[in-house]
Amino acid sequence: MSRSIVKFAAIILLIAVVVYVGIYGVDFSDRFKVPGITDEGGITQGLDLKGGTVIVFKAQADNPSDEDMDTVVSTIRKRLDFQNYTEAVVTRQGVDKIRVELPDVQDAEKAVETLGATAQLQFTEDPQGQNVVMTGDQVKDAVAEYGNASSNSMAKNSFYISLTLTDEGRSAFAAATARLVGQPIYIMMDGAVISAPTVQQAIDSESCVITGEFTADEAKSLAANIKSGKIPFSLEQVEVRTVSATLGDEALGNAVKAGIIGLILVMLFMLLLYRLMGLMADIALAAYMGVVLIILANCHVNLTLPGIAGIILSIGMAVDANVVIFERIKEELKLGKTVRSAVDAGFNRALSAVIDSNITTIISAVILWVLGTGTIKGFGITLFIGIVVSMLSAIFVTKFLLKQMIGMNVKNLWLYGISKKQDVAEMKGGKA
Amino acid sequence: MSFILKNKWVFMGISIVLMIVSVVSLLTRGFNLDTDFAGGIAVTYEIKADFDVADVENIVSNALGADQKASSVQRSNDNEVVIKFGYDNSLENDEARSDFALSKVSAITTSLVEKYDPNGAAAVEEDAAAVEETAEGENPEENAEEVKEAVVTLKNQDIISPSTGQELARSAFWMSLLACIAILLYVTFRFEFVSGVVAVVCLVHDVLILLGIYSVAGWSVDTNFIAAILTVLGYSINNTIVIMDRIRENTRHARKESYAEIADNSVNQTIGRSINTTITTLLTIGMVYILGVTSIKAFALPIIIGILIGFYSSVFVAGSLWATWRDSAVKAKKKA
Repeated sequence: MSRSIVKFAAIILLIAVVVYVGIYGVDFSDRFKVPGITDEGGITQGLDLKGGTVIVFKAQADNPSDEDMDTVVSTIRKRLDFQNYTEAVVTRQGVDKIRVELPDVQDAEKAVETLGATAQLQFTEDPQGQNVVMTGDQVKDAVAEYGNASSNSMAKNSFYISLTLTDEGRSAFAAATARLVGQPIYIMMDGAVISAPTVQQAIDSESCVITGEFTADEAKSLAANIKSGKIPFSLEQVEVRTVSATLGDEALGNAVKAGIIGLILVMLFMLLLYRLMGLMADIALAAYMGVVLIILANCHVNLTLPGIAGIILSIGMAVDANVVIFERIKEELKLGKTVRSAVDAGFNRALSAVIDSNITTIISAVILWVLGTGTIKGFGITLFIGIVVSMLSAIFVTKFLLKQMIGMNVKNLWLYGISKKQDVAEMKGGKA
Repeated sequence: MSFILKNKWVFMGISIVLMIVSVVSLLTRGFNLDTDFAGGIAVTYEIKADFDVADVENIVSNALGADQKASSVQRSNDNEVVIKFGYDNSLENDEARSDFALSKVSAITTSLVEKYDPNGAAAVEEDAAAVEETAEGENPEENAEEVKEAVVTLKNQDIISPSTGQELARSAFWMSLLACIAILLYVTFRFEFVSGVVAVVCLVHDVLILLGIYSVAGWSVDTNFIAAILTVLGYSINNTIVIMDRIRENTRHARKESYAEIADNSVNQTIGRSINTTITTLLTIGMVYILGVTSIKAFALPIIIGILIGFYSSVFVAGSLWATWRDSAVKAKKKA
């Protein structure tokens, strides 16, 4: 009996630690560090929670190759990095789509223009874009700068783009400028002339500048696009969604409140219905919450609003396995079995029902996870985590706890949810 | 003989009628597709001032131009307004459509700010000018913080091209079909074929009636609805499976009982469990519905309805269906 008490106390302590770690995390001087959900960076919030913009671009090409799409993804990522959107997420979606998630960006219009541009830079001899002298491929680096770029010292300061050319670019540019002295050279971006300076003399230099009527932002994004290189085909945005940070906050706050109240209601319900067994189920439920929180904080699951709903829903489903098992135990007790054998039989007989019924939900969750996009995917992941962890906790943790109860000689049938002695007698007589 | 067994034809009848109504409504009325599916623009503004929906309607129609009409302008909560409109039909590609949408949205925002927050608009402009003057060195964010809270804020904006909606519908269809097939295979593998078919019939029943309710009521259907349907697909079958599991067990021990009796006993032995799990699940998802924001309410509702229909089909229909099929198979054998 005393051994059961020790074991029972030990597992309660362990569960308390798991829940604590899930919420607050642990940090033993860098050697051993597990973030909890309240830690900075513990949870990756989806855009619908922290606010931001989602843009889905579609390639305007039939069956674009994987390599081309990968180029597009890395090009867009570079553009974002150059503009300091380091938290942005770029992913491929389906065969011909790119999904860009920008946190905290409210100006969707600007983001769409910069990111989706083909960014084909050309230096040409005429404004129609014929006789290409040099292209963006021959540019090594591009930086936006402010100052007086022209040789005329009287000119006003302005924003310009300073290019560093490759060796190939340098010789092409030197040859062209030697040939075109006194004529304009057209600098074109995606077919539009952005600047048309007149060549004063042959330039044999690694660097050259593009001047024009640029604002600071224009110069910066132009430089970023030149540096990141061109995209193999044009992109059209097919989906633009913006969520304000306040809406996200509100949604998150409400969802957490709903989760906590739901959890408390379910715990009370189990306690009322199954008494001692219900208490064990509630402890197992606490363990389940702790484990789910640790998984969320450490596996960088992208938590979306439907994702949170998935977790809350799985709290309700989590006790399902215990309800199936407890109902079975009650039946066995009513047949007059001892508590010990009733618990054993209950678990054994209910196991197949528990597994079979959970696997069908897991099938749906996996399909949503693998085939879904955006918020649906987030829901699939959390539903999957929720069901798997809940099934394991309901089977193993609850069983372990009940065994200790029996070990402590708790035999009062009322505690196992059976109301009247008559019940037992009736069932014994009636069922034979 | 229990209440359920006695009235099995009534319960099956109710199910059949509901399914027929659902199919008819789905074929004739279809769905009230939300922006996600139909394509279009949906914008939510928060306006912290007294406003009239009619005034907002005017602003929107001015911004959109003469030949374009907003499909809806609705107040949601107390201080929010949801504006939905479609694309100009003359626009040829997605790029043009999205540029159209973005420029219309910013036009609407500007007019709303002008109307409800005239001082704020001026203040923002002044501030912007101030920032430019002080230029480099100073942190512009510091200035931004001094600006008083805006009266008009864009809370949410969805711009969806029509092609995206079609692809979404297609992927929803394939996901549901795949889920049904996978579940049928699993149940057939774990139980005998009749149980598998009964489970899947119940599943189709649950989802069909859920879709039917949305079609008849004209409730709008968005992306999250797909996730809700798949959740119902996976979860509503739970009760049926627990009953089938009990039938499987009772059949093994049965001596003289008829199939109808076995099914009836199994349903009654598991009914406590069916009710209790349905309650615990409803407690949590119900809280999400009561406390959640608009978008998550729209997600929780179909799950709640689906769970209730699932409870009905598994408790009142599944057992009887199984027994009726089994008995008729036996009779057919005897005749032969």
